[in-house]
Amino acid sequence: MKRSSWMRTLGITSMVAVAGVLAACGGGDDASGDEEEEVTVRLTGWQSSPTEQRYFEQTIEAFEEQHPHINVQVDTIADQYMDVLRTRLIGGEAADVFFLDAFEAPGLIQSGVLEPLDGYITDEFDLDDFQDPMIEAFQREDQLWGIPKDTSTLALFYNKEHFEEAGFDAPPETWDELEEMAEELTVDNRYGFGVVTDLARLQFIAESTGAEITEDNRANFSDQRIVDALQPIVDMRNEKEIAASPSDVGAEWGGDMFGTGRASMIIEGNWMLPFMDETFENVDYGVTEIPTVNGEQGSMAYTVSYSMNAASEVKDEAWELIEFLTGPEGMEIWTSSGQALPTRDSVAETLNYDEDDQFAPFISAADYATVWADDTNLPIINSNFENQFSSAFLGNRELQEALEEAERVANEEIRD
Amino acid sequence: MARKRKYTKSQLREAGQGYLFMSPTIFTLLLFLIGPIIFAIFLSFTRVQLLGDTSFTFVGMENFSRILDDTRAGIALRNTAFYVGVVVPVQTILALVLAATLNAGLKAEKFFRIVYFLPTLTSSAVLVMIFMWMYRPDGFINSILGGVGLPTYNWINDPNIALISIMIMNIWATAPFFMVIYLAALQDIPDSLYEAADLDGANAIQKFLHVTVPLLRPVTGFVVIMGIIGTFQLFDQSYMFSGGSGGPDNSTLTVVLLVYQYAFAAYDQMGYAAALAVLLALVILTATLIQRKLQKDEEVY
Repeated sequence: MKRSSWMRTLGITSMVAVAGVLAACGGGDDASGDEEEEVTVRLTGWQSSPTEQRYFEQTIEAFEEQHPHINVQVDTIADQYMDVLRTRLIGGEAADVFFLDAFEAPGLIQSGVLEPLDGYITDEFDLDDFQDPMIEAFQREDQLWGIPKDTSTLALFYNKEHFEEAGFDAPPETWDELEEMAEELTVDNRYGFGVVTDLARLQFIAESTGAEITEDNRANFSDQRIVDALQPIVDMRNEKEIAASPSDVGAEWGGDMFGTGRASMIIEGNWMLPFMDETFENVDYGVTEIPTVNGEQGSMAYTVSYSMNAASEVKDEAWELIEFLTGPEGMEIWTSSGQALPTRDSVAETLNYDEDDQFAPFISAADYATVWADDTNLPIINSNFENQFSSAFLGNRELQEALEEAERVANEEIRD
Repeated sequence: MARKRKYTKSQLREAGQGYLFMSPTIFTLLLFLIGPIIFAIFLSFTRVQLLGDTSFTFVGMENFSRILDDTRAGIALRNTAFYVGVVVPVQTILALVLAATLNAGLKAEKFFRIVYFLPTLTSSAVLVMIFMWMYRPDGFINSILGGVGLPTYNWINDPNIALISIMIMNIWATAPFFMVIYLAALQDIPDSLYEAADLDGANAIQKFLHVTVPLLRPVTGFVVIMGIIGTFQLFDQSYMFSGGSGGPDNSTLTVVLLVYQYAFAAYDQMGYAAALAVLLALVILTATLIQRKLQKDEEVY
């Protein structure tokens, strides 16, 4: 029986080895500290451009310098941020502090995985300094569930060279003017106007005739007023052939389409500014507020918060981190990159953004912009809009029919 | 009639030892294979809340009856069926033809074998990225089509074309794999049969249709079943192609992609996602059983 005892020894040895490894893993966490215990706060965000990354790292470094006992561990989720974050929250593996888009906030707030922040906020923190719509995006059930770290708005970019060729000396001020100019600007291989067909970009246009895209947390696309508001954009592509989406010309996104000169005008956010400087520095362009739609000024505003995990074990330190990052000092370092705009009025003033020709349109837009956030069902409503609107935009079906279908399917998926 | 067998002590010990040696495998299978299957079936009858306070509520057949009025589930099933219906026959025939030409004793046969097999070595993600590049409106494929005066397409963003683009991509990538299986099988066909066919005055095409194809039937059965299972599980290609949305206009939405969307991208729909997954498993099982049945009827041996 020599062989069997040899096998048994092997089996026992390997079991002991496995147990040893498991024990070693378990012991790793509770490293003991001396007087002031070093605490690690984990922070999760998404991947950003190298420039943005640099400014972000600077902000974190400034925090760590002031709080020597807190060690910030940043990890980025490269793709499908919300899917990964949700999965981590379910598995109890989520970071102490994470980015949260206002668009996704209501769902997470409702499920109770976020820590309400009202108890931590001091008078010194000065919540009133923040722009109201940005704070409201994270308020629910009379509690605040995240502090808006920054915001972005939309404005109209126009190619000055193309404008000169066509003999225009000023950008359009109304939507009708924009259409007329786009017609002149459309030449071989170039469209007058580039359209990004997401609801996140079009909501303010869709609602410009007075209807709301959601009613009681359900989709409301088939309202005649919404169809009427969106019809001109579809017609610009299919009937007048003066507009196209980035994918029509093989561009990855609006910035690509505008930078390569395939569109003379496009509505994009302030993230375009550093992008244009870095990638298309030879393009001579101007930025202006979005032309009025039906006599009303409109734009979209996007905001992202730092929110705290309710299951965090280092809540006080996590709050210190949030407090610094969204405080005047941290926000100033972060938003001086120009990638995102400050949500504190005082910081916007310090940085003089409203006096800068390029930044001014975005700053003014913050006053009247529609914040891209709604209730818990916006993600479902949004994906159904995207699916159907794009088919109408491509001319495969009537807009009215497509929006009715989008509404029906969205409301079917919304249960409860 | 109950038959009782008495085991001796040494027999028992021997059996015990056997099970002891198998225990790591049995444990692994239970934990990672059988367990999840049973759990998925359990989930499909519940309403699950995972985020926050975890809860499981038994809802009976509600998840399954919901599939009936889910428009997107219908579209996903139709897309998947269409995809399987086109890809499986095309890739099987293509693999057979490629294998037969490679087996015909051409010059540089080895070289072509390698070239044909290369696509299979590419990882699926890389493959999709390369193809998305070539499918761009001003990309390689449209340049060639336009160059010879054929119509060009918006391969990625046209809802009528997008699924076909994925089909082309997938056929190109998997046909060579099945070709290799056919090649191996072709070596097994005795030369004497071809010689006999020669004596009967058969030409090359007749030999292919009446000797090669019938003798490859068992292998064809394997290739078709593997093809059916693989194509029903289409996920990564349409996920990358549409950025996870199944668009444009739901045209690349497959059942597995829909399961993913409900399970991970929506709140608290895990139970419904599990019901869809169970349904898909049943569909694949049925398709495979039908295929096996047909195969048995045509057995030549």
